[in-house]
Amino acid sequence: MATSKDIMEALADYKQQCNNNQRLRRMQRDWSKLLHFVAKDTGDSFTMEVKNGEIISNREGTHGVPDVIVTATSEDMCDMFWGDLNPAQKYLDGEILVKASPEDVQRIDAITMIIWPES
Amino acid sequence: MSGLKKVLKLRTVVSASAGLAMATSVYLAGLQIALSVVGELAWISILVAGALCMLSAMCFSELVSLYPTAAGIKLYIQHAFNEKAAIAIGMFYVIAGASIVGAESFLLSSVMIDTVGVWVSPMVDRFFWMSVFILIVAYINYRGVQITGWAQDLMTYLMFAFLLAVSIYTLATHKVDIGPALHSPDFTIGKVLTAAGLGVFLFVGFEWVTPLAEETEDYRMVGKGMMLAVALLAITYSLFVLAMYVGLTEEQRHSGTTIPHILYGRNLFGAAGGVIFIFMSLLASVTSFNSGVLNFSRFGYAMARANILPRVFSKLHPDYATPWVAILGITIFALALCLFTLFSGQFMFIITMAAALECFIYVVISLCLIRLRKKYPDQERAYKVPFGKLIPIVNIVVFTGLMLGIFAETTRDALGRIMFRNYWVAVVMAAFALVMTAYAYVVVPRLQQAAQQRTSQRRRRRPGQS
Repeated sequence: MATSKDIMEALADYKQQCNNNQRLRRMQRDWSKLLHFVAKDTGDSFTMEVKNGEIISNREGTHGVPDVIVTATSEDMCDMFWGDLNPAQKYLDGEILVKASPEDVQRIDAITMIIWPES
Repeated sequence: MSGLKKVLKLRTVVSASAGLAMATSVYLAGLQIALSVVGELAWISILVAGALCMLSAMCFSELVSLYPTAAGIKLYIQHAFNEKAAIAIGMFYVIAGASIVGAESFLLSSVMIDTVGVWVSPMVDRFFWMSVFILIVAYINYRGVQITGWAQDLMTYLMFAFLLAVSIYTLATHKVDIGPALHSPDFTIGKVLTAAGLGVFLFVGFEWVTPLAEETEDYRMVGKGMMLAVALLAITYSLFVLAMYVGLTEEQRHSGTTIPHILYGRNLFGAAGGVIFIFMSLLASVTSFNSGVLNFSRFGYAMARANILPRVFSKLHPDYATPWVAILGITIFALALCLFTLFSGQFMFIITMAAALECFIYVVISLCLIRLRKKYPDQERAYKVPFGKLIPIVNIVVFTGLMLGIFAETTRDALGRIMFRNYWVAVVMAAFALVMTAYAYVVVPRLQQAAQQRTSQRRRRRPGQS
């Protein structure tokens, strides 16, 4: 099981990868959302704020009312943020649950696809 | 855990579910149902179809509460049986279901030609209108323009209100002779059930709202919404088909017209009535086209991301973030179907196939439900179909019977001439299913193997994991 520290470290790298990817920033320029990530095995939760395609902050715990809630195991979550996992496959297998509009689900997956196209 | 900022209301689930089912082709299908059984009593067949679809909606509701994800039908089958079956049946269902665009665009072109007249020739004009609609909807999806919840509500409930109002007005101002109809030799249980089989077509698409479970707080809302939509559709269609039948002249009923609703509107309210029905037709078709292209393109994107379709279908537009290759793919498919429908004139073949396909998928869903109850009896279900296995078993028996009944029939035109023998629908469906099965067993493993190779060649980025 990945710890909260592991996931925060992964989120920090994920933030850097996203914010430095110009193609992604251009595509998501009109996307501003508050996301909650919940590790279903450890109960740890995290909040990510995205404004105009830029990840503004990552924090432990759930803050605010989210637009998106992603639930996965802590290991899957960590792997996903490091780009070592194809989240779409896990999502279609029902192992990653996303509560969000279909458009937001696609946008979240797009991040992984653009930063790590070989995933 | 906190709730979502924006959650779908029940009225939007109902409007989305019903909106997917309401299209221009239901008017013609309604008349076909009325002509296949005694017209004044066609409402019985429609209510029977509605009641049966309600049983299917209950089965879908339990499955949605088990797996509240957009992966939907593929996931139910995967967990009940295996991944290959899920891929084969899921793709068969989605692609064969997309074929309805051929019939829908053909009938919509009839509406336009009747409205604006022929410009070049009937064939050229038809293809022009069919292409215009498909390309407009494709462009809307390419740009990522979406219909908001309230717009969906407004359009669907407006359509319901209009159909109900017109029906009630017609029945209040026209004589309906139920007596002679009851004694007609065409009013038999067999004919009522055969008409009910075609009546299933009127409800095609209501189950495509299962992905909305991800936007609700309570997964039971999707099930409730589907059941309410089916009930609303059944009542509205029953009244409307009766009213339209009564509101058409005997000559119009048997003229082979593809636009019975326009003629009916003109009979009631003159030119204004025709205009209103044309508007309703356009509204119904554009919203159901749009939902179709949106759902299919997302499906194509998701399947490509899961290495079930070639990766090219997961390409996103750099500015609009829309799966443009998947949208292009469904657009080309839709145009090809339009050409087929145009040259063959077999829009009734497509409508009949859509009805049979729905019967098939309801049988599959019911089988999944029984199997999942056996495999995972203790898994949490926010909703459970009552009376044990009775309802899914009834579903399996009835819809198998209806499907076989559809295949055993012969489709005739308004003059009684044979258009096609329905067993050809079974042949086409079987051929399609075989192709999808071959794809699942031969092509998909290769795509997944290529994906695994790419992943294995890549160094893991997570510290301490390489």
